[in-house]
Amino acid sequence: MEDKEDTVQALILEQKLLVKNYKLNLDKELCVSCQICSLACPKEAIKLEKQLKTHEGKAKKAKIDIDLVKCNFCGICDVLCPYGAIKVTVNGNHVLSVVEKESFPQLIRDIQVDSRKCPIDCVECENACPLNLIKVTHLTSNGKVVEDLNSLTTLEREWLKVKVDIEKERCPCCRICEFKCPKGVIHVRKTFYGKIHVNQEKCPEDCKDCLEICPITGALYLGTDNKVHVNELFCVYCGACKVVCPVNEALELKRTKILHTPIRSGAWNKALERLASPLEITKELKAKGSRKAMESVEKRLKYKGVVA
Amino acid sequence: MEQKDSQKQNKPEKLRIGVFICHCGTNIAGSIDVERVVKCASTFPNVVVARDYTYLCSDAGQALIKEDIAKFKLNRVIVAACSPTLHELTFRKCVEDAGLNKYLVTVANIREQCSWVHAHQPEDATKKAVDLTRMAVARASLLEPLEVIRVPIRKSCLVIGGGVAGIQASLDLAEEGFDVYLVEKNPSIGGHMAQFDKTFPTMDCSMCILSPKMAAVAHNPKIHILANSEVREVSGYVGNFKVKITVKPRYVKDELCNGCGECTKSCPIEVPNEFDEKLGPRKAIYIPFPQAVPQVYTVDIDQCIECYKCVEVCGPRAIDFSQKPKEVEVEVGTIIVATGFDPFDPSGLEEYGYGVYDNVITGLEFERILSPTGPTGGKIIRPSDRKTPKRIAFIQCVGSRDEKTNPYCSRVCCMYATKQALLIKEKIPDANILVFYIDLRAFGKGFEEFYKRAQMEGVRYIRGKVAEVFEDPKSKNLILHAEDTLLGVSVESEVDLLVLSVGLTPNSGTKELCRTLNLSRGPDGFLKEAHPKLRPMDTLVDGIFLAGVAQGPKDIPDSVAQASGAAQKASILMSVGEAEIEATTAEINRNLCGRCLICISMCPFNALVYNEGTVEVLEALCKGCGACAAACPTKAIKMKNFTDKQIFAELREALVSLQSGV
Repeated sequence: MEDKEDTVQALILEQKLLVKNYKLNLDKELCVSCQICSLACPKEAIKLEKQLKTHEGKAKKAKIDIDLVKCNFCGICDVLCPYGAIKVTVNGNHVLSVVEKESFPQLIRDIQVDSRKCPIDCVECENACPLNLIKVTHLTSNGKVVEDLNSLTTLEREWLKVKVDIEKERCPCCRICEFKCPKGVIHVRKTFYGKIHVNQEKCPEDCKDCLEICPITGALYLGTDNKVHVNELFCVYCGACKVVCPVNEALELKRTKILHTPIRSGAWNKALERLASPLEITKELKAKGSRKAMESVEKRLKYKGVVA
Repeated sequence: MEQKDSQKQNKPEKLRIGVFICHCGTNIAGSIDVERVVKCASTFPNVVVARDYTYLCSDAGQALIKEDIAKFKLNRVIVAACSPTLHELTFRKCVEDAGLNKYLVTVANIREQCSWVHAHQPEDATKKAVDLTRMAVARASLLEPLEVIRVPIRKSCLVIGGGVAGIQASLDLAEEGFDVYLVEKNPSIGGHMAQFDKTFPTMDCSMCILSPKMAAVAHNPKIHILANSEVREVSGYVGNFKVKITVKPRYVKDELCNGCGECTKSCPIEVPNEFDEKLGPRKAIYIPFPQAVPQVYTVDIDQCIECYKCVEVCGPRAIDFSQKPKEVEVEVGTIIVATGFDPFDPSGLEEYGYGVYDNVITGLEFERILSPTGPTGGKIIRPSDRKTPKRIAFIQCVGSRDEKTNPYCSRVCCMYATKQALLIKEKIPDANILVFYIDLRAFGKGFEEFYKRAQMEGVRYIRGKVAEVFEDPKSKNLILHAEDTLLGVSVESEVDLLVLSVGLTPNSGTKELCRTLNLSRGPDGFLKEAHPKLRPMDTLVDGIFLAGVAQGPKDIPDSVAQASGAAQKASILMSVGEAEIEATTAEINRNLCGRCLICISMCPFNALVYNEGTVEVLEALCKGCGACAAACPTKAIKMKNFTDKQIFAELREALVSLQSGV
């Protein structure tokens, strides 16, 4: 039996077999209505529908809909969602068989935190994170969480340990925390790479739709000329801005590279082709090919090259 | 010109007509004064002899006709007797034996069209019999001798449908040495029988008795299995059918696949398995069931995400995503249609709540739950909470014997529900089982005993139709409202699981196939046989036969029996090697034909073709219906032995009696 439930909080798709239950849960509060899942879905089951503005004239997120007939609960949308808004479960367990069977890679969210260097009292990263994913806690030498820093003695303060927890599976790796950190504790590598450009001639004046929708504060900003500008340092290339942009070609977005675990998969090649471009997939395959050729040469000559 | 021709033929010999009138016991003689008819007949022009006899169809009656042909040198024979559909062939054979062209005999129907319908008006009936005889004499005078057409029959057969009926027919024909092309639309042969757990009333394991036959099909070099294929176009006629078949791509090369199953293990995609009635999962690259024939995996391209993991693990490198639909053309002499059934879909019947309430399932779904190879491994559980149900009810005649859906009886539901009830008793001995029925039909061999056995084991049969079903939203149990018509009380029962004994409906492709093969369907939608009693395997198209449920609901033994029968019918044609085609076909006068092609659009049998500027009649396909001749604006088409002249002569005689008031 198939079931679909669409509420304000979530879109839930369910496929109930006698012995197995497949469920897809899209958390509408986490979802920013970017293009990633709808572009990547191999069955083209996910559609975005533009919404009218609110009464206050603010842009509204596009409405997301998943076709129950087309969806086969493969979980590729779950894997790729930069914001961790989609969860696919089988019998209640978060199992992604495309990952398990190595038929699809996982995104690499490379976030390094060396909290030993963290100054006590500093919560810059926690405050900076646009998605509230960072939590800074302090632990005593015996591992207890300290609620109130002021209650501690100076000696106790010396032995304090700082812990920085980041909800990795929801983090799109915008690097804002890295830049805000005064001590260089956090190192983030972006997951999605690309190029974003605002075509100033086409960008309508006074329209701030993209700005309003962008989940990463600071990736887009209003310039002195009252037009939208891009700060590529923080952009995660999710494409939420492009979805709401009212003018064709006013916003140009090109993804070039996506950090992922190594894999050989046709499904990934196709997803990358749709998310980036055929050129990017060619590059990736070529790189893979030359690495392989290198490896085999090394093996034969028992010689360790520079590249390896 | 037509006139000249017939005159030319008639001139050399003078007409000598013999009229023979049959009593048919009292069937005709009971209301018609046969003697008076004989007397009148002897006065008709060119009649040399007129006689009557009690049963002309008997050997003695036929001997009489033969004798008179020789004695009086008859060259036309009129038999006034029963309908030509019954005995025209008998009398044709009779005059042929006596050395006359068999198309020179005319049958006047004085039984069905006269004595039977006017049983209480002997005077009028007699007058009408005289008229009918006179009309026949008038027409006979203008009849021409015709040559029968003989067509060679190819020694190969197309079997459409790979269920148990199609399998049986293929095996029988292959054993007799004929080539068989077995077309099945699903990836494997086996049909619905492969889905069943046990068979009634013997309780054999269904797959255990079917799989040896499937294996025999697989290993028979005479049988060419075309699975995952559909018949697209059929042209030609008996003995010479040209069939176009579309083979859907499997994306696996059948000659390389060794059935190891590594691909399935590597596939990440799980979708509902049609073979398990969508109760359990299968992969996007799959084999429907372990005993499948052919043992070749299939990629469900609609579900595949094309990760190519299967390609990586496949040892023999059998997977080929570049496959395209393939067109195969075969030439066969005969065709057997064994397209089977689809189970009735009860979602339209709101009162039972199928598709709305979790714990309402169909009989076929329950069959998969009972099966040890099914999604639960044979453990009976209900969908809502996967617990073992203790109270189970069956509702009979869902989609059968119901004015709202199908008026016919599906013939198998009473027994399969009884079988399922017994299987529940085996697995859950303390289960409480109710069967709500209208009438229990246990007509087959061993059925009544089987039904008795179920009653002995405590299955409760309640005579009454369930009016409505409600679900308790908390427990997901079902509350049934019915009337026990034997006790005359209303019944309310709460059960854990409700099984709808759904009936059989014609396969969804039947309508399409009828168009392709020029077959007709009965009011129930099943394929129509040539005669319900005497030709149950034949169709009205020569060389095409029916087997199994395609012709009407049947159980397994009946399907198998009919399949063997149909195979035998096809085999007779192919063994003889040629077939006689009726000579009463259309003939086109090319000098008159204006090439308007109206006739081609009229022909229901596709017997007319436009070829290099002329319209041609494919005599083997022409049934002599006359639609083309009636439509032809230039009267260029002549129906042999049903010419305008002959028919007008007949009509004139009919009108003469009206005018003179004889």
